[in-house]
Amino acid sequence: MHDHDDHAPETAAAEPPGFYEVLETAVRELLVEQGLFEAAEIHRQIDVLDSRTPALGAMVIARAWTDAAFRARLLADGRSACEELGISFYDDTGLIVLENTARVHNLIVCTLCSCYPRPVLGLPPDWYKLKPYRARAVSEPRKVLAEFGTVLPDDVEIRVSDSTAVVRYLVLPLRPAGTENFTEAQLAALVTRDAMIGVVPVRLPEPGDLP
Amino acid sequence: MINGGTAQALAHIVLATGETPLFQPGERVRVDDRVPIGHYRVPMYLRGKIGTVEAVIQPRGLDNEEEGFGRNAGNKRHYYRVVLPMPDLWPDYPGSPNDTLHIEVFETWLERIA
Amino acid sequence: MTSTETLATRLPNDIGGVAAEAISQIDHPLLPWEKRCHALADVLDFHKIINTEEKRRGVEALGAEMVAKLTYYERWIVAFANILFQKCILAPSDVAQRIRTIEHELRAGLRS
Repeated sequence: MHDHDDHAPETAAAEPPGFYEVLETAVRELLVEQGLFEAAEIHRQIDVLDSRTPALGAMVIARAWTDAAFRARLLADGRSACEELGISFYDDTGLIVLENTARVHNLIVCTLCSCYPRPVLGLPPDWYKLKPYRARAVSEPRKVLAEFGTVLPDDVEIRVSDSTAVVRYLVLPLRPAGTENFTEAQLAALVTRDAMIGVVPVRLPEPGDLP
Repeated sequence: MINGGTAQALAHIVLATGETPLFQPGERVRVDDRVPIGHYRVPMYLRGKIGTVEAVIQPRGLDNEEEGFGRNAGNKRHYYRVVLPMPDLWPDYPGSPNDTLHIEVFETWLERIA
Repeated sequence: MTSTETLATRLPNDIGGVAAEAISQIDHPLLPWEKRCHALADVLDFHKIINTEEKRRGVEALGAEMVAKLTYYERWIVAFANILFQKCILAPSDVAQRIRTIEHELRAGLRS
């Protein structure tokens, strides 16, 4: 969800760049002039970032749901399995995929900063990077889940993974019942970013939803 | 013969310092309670707590606390995914006592509990 | 611990387990400059001019007030400047001069 700001028309007559935007321009231009990197590398990396969205993660999940051997490889080495599907990792991070079961529900957080599986999910939402989630996901995960509408019985173990180093996490949610005849593409369309963070399960669309 | 030579050579391999993980899955470990200044990657909520090694992260990695100051050589050791019961971390934990926290910790922050 | 010891030893970003309010599920598409800033971080890391861990430390070193009051990418770009100064890659006066030039060119319509 994001708010539409009715007071900020998306025209060329935008506000002048603020202090930090000017600072970013200054630093970047000076470094390029020093020859430390090329301006084209920045443009390229913007394109890389734009190409990484939750649709990639959803594809991984759908494949894991439909291909048991892939699922096993994914759980053994998340990064390699993603790379099999063409999802490159442009940094040195590893990926551990956390499997939800009837007895275990996984949730990911980075209490110290904002570590997130960017190569396979894109950039994290603001709420993931802000204090309330980061502070409370590790100490009261069930209350946090409830705020997202997710309530799990006490006989389901909640596992919270706090990223602090070079490994990133992705939750492999439970496949919803009633999807036995879905194609991989139909399955992928069900998988949301928030389900791969672990704050919600994967749900079937409500009757009347668009396909 | 080559096979015999290989077997003999393998029997005499010496691993460099830090190549062998110090801890194995299932071992109980305590997170150190030292108090660094300026940069650390072990949250305060973990200091002095006891957990179980769930997995050895491969390959070895740089000490991220030193890497934060640009030191990126000569300090590779293992990170460990450690699991801790939530009630051990939080007094009056509001949830199931079976809930757990999982976190990567660098080898130099852990000690084996006898 | 006294309160000042805590200031010296607890990083402003170390908030796991502290009291906090309900989660507001806000999100915003990155502003173009924020996206450029994120790309800059990645390129700096690729070249090991400023690696990701140095960036984290640099953001922590801004201290509690700036960490609380600056937005996510504002913290990054200030941290980058500080680290580049510490490494003697840039000097504060270089950045100051360039900021002045950019602002002049923006006012004069010489750049968008």
